[in-house]
Amino acid sequence: MELKVARRVRAVDLWRRMLTMLFETGHPWVTFKDPCNIRSPQQHCGVVHSSNLCTEITLNTSDNEVAVCNLGSVNLAAHVTEKGLDRHHLARTVKTAMRMLDNVIDINFYTITEARRSNLRHRPVGLGLMGYQDALHMLRIPVASAEAVAFADASMEAISYETISASVDLAEERGRYASFEGSLWSRGILPIDSIALLADARGEYLRMDASVTLDWDGLRERVQTSGMRNSNVMAIAPTATISNICGVAQSIEPAFRNLYVKANMSGDFTVVNPFLVADLKARGLWDEVMISDLKYFDGSLGAIDRVPDDLKALYATAFEIDAHWLVEAGSRRQKWIDQAQSLNLYIAAPNGRTLDALYRLAWERGLKTTYYLRSQSATHVEKSTLKGTDGKLNAVSNGGGMLSAPTSAEAMAGKACSIDDPTCEACQ
Amino acid sequence: MLDWSEPAATSHHVPQARAGIIPSDPEAGSGLGSIDRHAGRVRVDDKAMINARADVNQLLPLKYSWAWEKYLSGCNNHWMPTEVSMQADIALWKSRDGLTEDERRMVKRNLGFFAASESLVANNIVLAIYRHLTNPECRQYLLRQAFEEAVHTHTFQYIVESLGLDEGELFNMYREVPSITDKAAWALAYTQHLDDPSFKTGTHEADQAFVRDLIAFYVVFEGMWFYTGFAQILSLGRRNKMVGIAEQYQYILRDESIHMNFGIDVINQIKVENPHIWSAAFQEEVREMLRNAAELEASYGRDTMPTGVLGLNAKLCEQYMHFIANRRCAQLGLKPVFAETENPFPWMSEAMDLKKEKNFFETRVIEYQNGGALSWD
Repeated sequence: MELKVARRVRAVDLWRRMLTMLFETGHPWVTFKDPCNIRSPQQHCGVVHSSNLCTEITLNTSDNEVAVCNLGSVNLAAHVTEKGLDRHHLARTVKTAMRMLDNVIDINFYTITEARRSNLRHRPVGLGLMGYQDALHMLRIPVASAEAVAFADASMEAISYETISASVDLAEERGRYASFEGSLWSRGILPIDSIALLADARGEYLRMDASVTLDWDGLRERVQTSGMRNSNVMAIAPTATISNICGVAQSIEPAFRNLYVKANMSGDFTVVNPFLVADLKARGLWDEVMISDLKYFDGSLGAIDRVPDDLKALYATAFEIDAHWLVEAGSRRQKWIDQAQSLNLYIAAPNGRTLDALYRLAWERGLKTTYYLRSQSATHVEKSTLKGTDGKLNAVSNGGGMLSAPTSAEAMAGKACSIDDPTCEACQ
Repeated sequence: MLDWSEPAATSHHVPQARAGIIPSDPEAGSGLGSIDRHAGRVRVDDKAMINARADVNQLLPLKYSWAWEKYLSGCNNHWMPTEVSMQADIALWKSRDGLTEDERRMVKRNLGFFAASESLVANNIVLAIYRHLTNPECRQYLLRQAFEEAVHTHTFQYIVESLGLDEGELFNMYREVPSITDKAAWALAYTQHLDDPSFKTGTHEADQAFVRDLIAFYVVFEGMWFYTGFAQILSLGRRNKMVGIAEQYQYILRDESIHMNFGIDVINQIKVENPHIWSAAFQEEVREMLRNAAELEASYGRDTMPTGVLGLNAKLCEQYMHFIANRRCAQLGLKPVFAETENPFPWMSEAMDLKKEKNFFETRVIEYQNGGALSWD
């Protein structure tokens, strides 16, 4: 069908409008179609027109084929010790998970024939991870750090290596998927290799790390000779509910807050960061006052004076860290993934230029997709379960000195201007 | 966000004449007085909460930046009731065993109380407070608040329509249900006093009467009485009942939190500028008002929850009201009116205090601001 031009708008105006909507509502998710297609293993037999709702699935769709993806997530926290990633344990888990995901393709109930057709022909699955923040806590790495970016890289490289190996194993046992011939796999181009294709297309506008540490040459050869059981093998899903059931942080998300409520259709659930509680207990700081302070400061440690700086860095929450760290870590994961990831971004202060820079960085770092932009409401309600009053919403002193908000809150409010007092220096 | 933090600096550039005032004009403070063609420009020092000499039609230069900030926050918190899905509520309300008879009575009386109350509060702002609060930045907030009251009234219309409730029954409860009528009548007396065309601030007695009205509406109505109502609905929401209404109440609560704290800031600012009003006798009188209000609320609790519902009863609500009343006293700089007590509903921590992470595909996430707040600098 030929599309007619309905209205011309300036690209910059459209971009601003998109970013403003993102800030207002969290939507629309900005996804980049070029890397989705240029790095797609299945580009020989279709086009990736869009992602799914959660922006981790990037599969071909057409009149005849509706994309389906069976998802699974490795609980990364269960595969990490203080010494680092347990490679052996991870390999075993991934092997089992891939067999299960491959089974689902045959067992599944398909409501429409287009879905059944595409799924049986290409057999895509998406193995991802959850509990990334927990793993970082166990390794005592702050999420906003170069070390965390390196860990995102190394852990994803390991998952990628094991996942592709498992699909090759399954191909040897059960046969390769029907549309394998002509795919990037068949041409010996693994996800890590397809970065070069994107770099060719982008020219100077791609700054993506491409270093490797494992034996990819050996695996590449196996992929070409034995084939793959599945057209796609990796995707990082949001794990919004299963992570709660497992008791770990969602997907690849930083800690939302150290004390917050998870609200879903089943009700409200208070979530507290158990790593933080253990650390505070170890330092003798876990008491009634700390709980009150955590409530008062919306689950962030930043403004609580008696918390040492190393803990503040380790337990910095999503709105306290610079979101560019999340993009950098996302870029390192995207190196290894044949589909995409549900990568949420956060903005604490409403600023358009920051948003513009953030989303351009995401593009430049080769991300395929971004998910929600989470921001914060202008004000919150009066806290109901604190002792005394919640002074946050009052600006004028009651004259009696009976407001009992913590002193750190007063410091945050800044000096008040007293225009009637000639000795006041607030405006001098 | 706009930065208005240096109001004093701009005043150096304006002529040093005193502000435009016509003391003989009876409408001087309202903004409806004749225009004085020869008056000097407004200086920030001339601005005052009540009985201002300065022209009330000039927003800038700002004196009370907190009032302006609250106006901006109100705008950024904009919401409409129709954004909230009532699907689950309708199904529950229509199913025979969805709610107990006690729960139905509580919900209906709760809605009945709020439906009329939002109108009474709006009337008080527009017909009583606005006229006598002689500061343009505060008036700016009042106009925003008045609109929010309209949004809240709209919410009750939307609920009545969605659930197919008897609108006559609901909107007449403030006349027909004695425990609601008692509260409405108590508050209305204060509005009536100020709406008298001959009422004018400027005397000790009149200024006190004005503060009394502010306390009746901002501290008692919005700061105390609404809170039992919020507790009732949030308690149901916590049990996954009437979740749509519970979500709307969370929005309303967010708005009301600013309304009440604006009112308390106004009262405290008036106290700073007119310390004589806040005499020991008057303080006692205000404490008595809060005590009476808490008692009226206790009877409302007994009437709406004669036998209690799961997790909530009249006795606990009374204790909650004592906790809230003491808080309001502290905010006003008064001695507490009740013995020290704790919030009997620790679950409110979950329902209100902590930030919520919600799934976008299940509900509308309220942690967003209006796009106008986005700065491109």
